[in-house]
Parts: sequence; structure tokens; C-alpha cells
Amino acid sequence: MKTIAFKTLGCRLNQYETDALASQFQNNNYKLVDFDEEADVYVINTCTVTHQSDHKSRNFINQITKRHKDSILVVTGCMADNAKDELESKDEINYVLENDNKSALFSLVEAHFNGEIKHTDQLNKDRFDYGSTEKGFHTRSMIKIQDGCDNFCTFCIIPSVRGRAKSRPFQDIIDNIQSVIDGGAKEVIITGVNIGRYEYEDYKFDDLVEAILNLDGDFRLRISSLEPDGFGDKFLGLLSHPKMTPHLHLCLQSGSDKLLLGMRRMYTIKTFKDTVEKVRAIRPDFNFTTDMIIGFPGESETDFTDSCNMIQDMQFGHVHTFKYSIRKGTRAERMPDQIPEKLKTERSAILRDIAEACKLKYRSQFVGKTQRVLVENINGNIGRGYGEHYIPVQFEAENLKQNTFYDVTIKKIHTDKDILLIGELI
Amino acid sequence: MKSHQVINLRHLTPSAYIIRLEKKNFTFKTGQYITLGFSGSIDRREYSIYSAEQDDYIEVLIKDVENGLLSKKLKKCKPGDMLDIDGAFGHFSLKDDEVKNKKFMFICTGTGISPVHSFIHTHPEMDYTLLHGIRHKEEAYEKETYDSNRYVLCTSGENTGDFNGRVTEYLLKNPVSPDTICYLCGNCHMIYEAYDILEKQGVKLGPIHTEVYF
Ligand SMILES: Cc1cc2nc3c(=O)[nH]c(=O)nc-3n(C[C@H](O)[C@H](O)[C@H](O)COP(=O)(O)OP(=O)(O)OC[C@H]3O[C@@H](n4cnc5c(N)ncnc54)[C@H](O)[C@@H]3O)c2cc1C
Ligand code: SF4
Repeated sequence: MKTIAFKTLGCRLNQYETDALASQFQNNNYKLVDFDEEADVYVINTCTVTHQSDHKSRNFINQITKRHKDSILVVTGCMADNAKDELESKDEINYVLENDNKSALFSLVEAHFNGEIKHTDQLNKDRFDYGSTEKGFHTRSMIKIQDGCDNFCTFCIIPSVRGRAKSRPFQDIIDNIQSVIDGGAKEVIITGVNIGRYEYEDYKFDDLVEAILNLDGDFRLRISSLEPDGFGDKFLGLLSHPKMTPHLHLCLQSGSDKLLLGMRRMYTIKTFKDTVEKVRAIRPDFNFTTDMIIGFPGESETDFTDSCNMIQDMQFGHVHTFKYSIRKGTRAERMPDQIPEKLKTERSAILRDIAEACKLKYRSQFVGKTQRVLVENINGNIGRGYGEHYIPVQFEAENLKQNTFYDVTIKKIHTDKDILLIGELI
Repeated sequence: MKSHQVINLRHLTPSAYIIRLEKKNFTFKTGQYITLGFSGSIDRREYSIYSAEQDDYIEVLIKDVENGLLSKKLKKCKPGDMLDIDGAFGHFSLKDDEVKNKKFMFICTGTGISPVHSFIHTHPEMDYTLLHGIRHKEEAYEKETYDSNRYVLCTSGENTGDFNGRVTEYLLKNPVSPDTICYLCGNCHMIYEAYDILEKQGVKLGPIHTEVYF
């Protein structure tokens, strides 16, 4: 049996694509092994969204080329789009696979083992031709509904590497989701680059979400990250649906309207606040998580303070902080008033502390309440998974089963590594 | 991305010019922008479309900026040169149901008048007021193509316009009625300030109503 190992960097969409590819290899008699182990094939699904992700991607490539000279190494993902020539000039990398033909990874590897040398240009180009993720790495089933983005936020390289926004046909998505639910999936996550802009024929994003929620079966729906623009009251109404999880990752990026304009984001602080307030008026414990960029060109002390205040005001359940880093070819690269690295680091540390305090406060409110936990990992009698609010919960019970819902009362909170809720089975 | 041939260049001032390109089968919604660059070059910049939806060519209005790379190079292009166009992109657009029966206020600075030119020439029947903020009167690009009763020129560098001062000062002195649909285009500082003023005057602005150039 051949072995394959994956390393995935970056966004949920990359994670989804790896999961789907890993499932396909497993279904075809490959054994999935850890990235640290010996494998016949190594796949690095790279990211290029920040300098740090570029750096990490390169490190993993070097790790494999140094240690495993006889294995096949495939580099795919956004770095493969953005730095194709550079990667292709490295002899140690067997294949550089752009996002456009990532879904054809299996046929490429099979061809390789059959002695054929396929050029990546000969591969099928289809951004949605991924199977389901039922094996892979996660219990949650991710479904890709959209790819690419036309927003061109001034800091972002994604529109250049992932290309124009493209929505997957409506019925394909519905059929795909129905089949994963019928196959036993309990949590479906819809994912893409800018999913709020989903548009296929007459169907918009809210129509799609509504149709998914109306499917039969014992499942819940989670929405991966969403831009805080372009959705209206219909979508907000759907958030109260019993199958919808009370969690949204809404990318705020800055607490300052001035910087949001400079980033060419499509919302204001007021509209963002209005959305959060509307949702929390119906469900006060709704979990909003977000991304924040620190040190965008021109970020003054006041802008930074506005960002800190916004985190506190919005009581985010989790904040992903990114130090701004220049991406070549973006508008922000050419902006004056770039912020010194040292100041960015200082501000990041301050913002992270505030975000951690908010996270603890947010999660503490669940002590004494119940969560419906979808168990992902089992260690003896200890089960771990996420509650509907997307907070990690751990509890003890006998005969635990993966991919099963358990109703749990939260008893206390552990703050050692991540902030973990400890519960008791009801 | 498609290559389009340059038809001609119209120099409006020593620094501002209009490039007219063949349209081929390119389609767009008035208010959108394209990215433009020399064929084969990696340097590309965004430019709002100046021409109307129904015109059988594409036009962009460009001002060369100090130390700018592309705005200076594009100025030197000649009829017959090939430029690569990608797009159209953007959500700065009119709502079909509003065009016929609403009152519009377009607030722009410098070349930010470009998508507004496209709006007005695509829908000449619109009920609009155009507020154009510039420093000197020669920057009132193709002023004669707008209805003079609807065009307010705000000059901040000299007293040669209809109003001497910035567009934001004009807005403070001439409040906008809340049922007006406002669109803002141009530099970030103007948009930031005007946005604030309009909100205080009760005007509702959504994400499609601003287009920041720099
Ligand atoms: C959506 C969108 C639409 C646009 N539409 C138009 C348009 O219709 N007409 C037009 O002329 N420009 C427009 N721009 C600006 C344009 O994309 C370029 O930024 C501009 O032409 C300068 O490019 P450059 O390569 O010459 O300068 P760069 O080398 O990119 O920049 C040089 C310096 O000039 C500054 N700068 C950039 N733009 C301006 C400006 N307009 N005025 C003053 N300083 C500036 C930059 O911050 C930088 O510091 C638009 C921008 C966006 C985002
Ligand atoms: S919305 Fe902005 S940040 Fe998100 S992918 Fe598109 S360009 Fe990038």
C-alpha cells in the first residue's frame, strides 16, 4: 500500500481541498500518514497570504527535500500560483500544481506511478471537482460553494492567485450536501474564498443557505468565514433557524473607518456593529469571531485604539490577528506610511492580550449552560469536539462514538492552553 | 484578460488624458472599473470606466501622478498599441429600480469624476447633482458634457468655480436631503469626511456607494 502525507497551510478552503484529496487517495488504497513520517508522496498545500505563510510553506518544502529524496513532492496551493517559476526551477519538487488543477492531484500521482510523465497543463481544470471529505482529517464535512474573489482589498493577494469569483452550480451543491448528510455527516461547513458573494443564475447566498437548511436529516450548518458586506435581512433571519449554528466568522480587519476605506473594504464600523447588534438582539450569546490586521499603512495610534475598542465592544469569541505584511502587486504595497515592524509587533501583542481576555469572558458565560457537542476526538473515556457555538468542549463518558452529538452541561473552564470548556453529559 | 487596441488619446490638461480603446465584446455595468496594463507586463492599475455602457469603445480618464509608474507610461501610448484589460470589477453601481425615480448626488474629486461620467452618459435622463472637487479650474474635465444646471464645481486652490472650497465644505453649507442617493468617488480623505457629514444629515449609505482611488 502506498503512503501519502499532506501539509496544509492557510485558509479553510485549502483545508477543505486537502480533506477532499486525502479522502480520494484513501478511497484508492493509499494510507494517510503523518507529515513527519516516511511517505511515498508528500503534498504541501501552500498559502501565500502573508509573509509568514510564505515562509512556513518554504520551510516545509525544504524539510521534505532534505529528508526524503526518493519520495514524490507535489507543491500546490496559492504559492504555486504566485511563485510558479521559482518553484518549478527547484529540481527537488516533482510537480507544481496550480489551484486551477489542484483537484486533479490524484490523476497526476497515479500517472507518475504508472511511469507516465504528465505535464500539469494536461490536467483537468475544475475548481469544484473535489469529492466529499468523509475520510480526510475532519468529522465536519466541508463543501466548497465558491472560489475566487473580485473585491481586490488593497492588502490582499488572493484575487490575483485564486482568480475571478466563480460560484458552483446551485443544484450540485444541494446534491453534494444531501449525499454527505445521507452518508452520516452531522455538521456541514460551506466554504469558499468570498462565499457571501455566491451567485448562480437567480440564486444568491441567502437562497442557497435557506435551501441547505431545508434539507432533511440530523445535521447542523456552519458557515466558514464571511465578508461583512452584501448580506441582508433574509440572511440574518436564517441565523435563527434550528439547524444553523450560532457562529459567524466575520472579517473586520480594522476598527477604524479611515483604514477600512484605505483597505477598500465594503462596510463601515457602523454597519458591522449594526449586524452584530441585530443578531445578538435575538441570540445574545451568538459567537462572532473575526480577523484583524495590525499595522496597515497609515495606522495611527488612534486607529489602533479604535481596533482595540472594537474588539471589546463586539465581545468577539476569537480574534485571528495578522501583522500586516506587504504582498507584491497589491495596492497597499505602494502606499506611503508603512508601519515599522517593531511597532506592528508591539501593537499585535497588545491586541492579542485584549482578544484573549474577550475570549475568556465570552466563553465563561457558557458555564452552567448546555452545548450540543459533535465529538471529533476520543481518548479513552474523554471526548472532545465543538459545541454549536464553535467552542471546544471536553467531557467524560463511556462508549463514546466519533461524529455523534452529545448534549453536555458546561461545568467549568480550563485556561491552560486554549480556553477549553469542561462539561458533563446530560 | 484580453488585449485591446488603443484607438486614440485625448489630452485634457498637461497631466490628464483619456485613452479610448476598442471595445470588442467587452461588457460592464456603469460604475465598474478595469485593470489596465501594457500587454505582457505585470504592472497593472485599476481605472474606472469613463465611457457609457452603450458606447462602442471603452474610455478611461487618467491623471499622471507624481512618481507614478503606470499613469506616466500610459500617457505615452499611441494609437495601435495593445493594452491588456481585465474586468470589469467592482460594486460601485447604480440600482436599476432607483435610476428612474430617485434623486442622486454624485460627489467626486479629481479623476473620481470618471465613473460618474459613465453613470450620467449611460442614463442621461437621471435626476442628479454633480459635485466636482478640484484645485484648479482646468481640472474640470470635459465640464461641457454635463448639464450646467446640475454641475457644481468646487475649486479649493482658487476662486474660479461655482464654490470656492472643498466639496466637504460645500456639503456642510448646503445640506443634502435624506432621500438623496449619494455616491462618492476619489480620494480616501474626502470620502471619509463626506461620509460622516452625509450620515449626520440623515443620508443612508451602503457599501456600493463609495469608490476609493487612493
Ligand atoms: C477602483 C479604482 C479605480 C481607479 N480609477 C482611476 C481613474 O479612473 N483614473 C485615475 O487617474 N486613477 C484611478 N485610480 C488610481 C490608479 O489605479 C493608480 O493608482 C494611479 O493611476 C497611479 O498609478 P501609478 O502607477 O502611476 O502610481 P503608483 O506607482 O502606483 O503610485 C505612486 C504614488 O502615488 C500615489 N497615488 C496613487 N494614485 C494616486 C492619485 N490618483 N492621486 C495622487 N496620488 C496617487 C500612491 O499612493 C503612491 O504613493 C483608481 C484606483 C482604484 C483603486
Ligand atoms: S474579500 Fe478582500 S480579503 Fe477577502 S479574499 Fe477578497 S480581496 Fe481578499
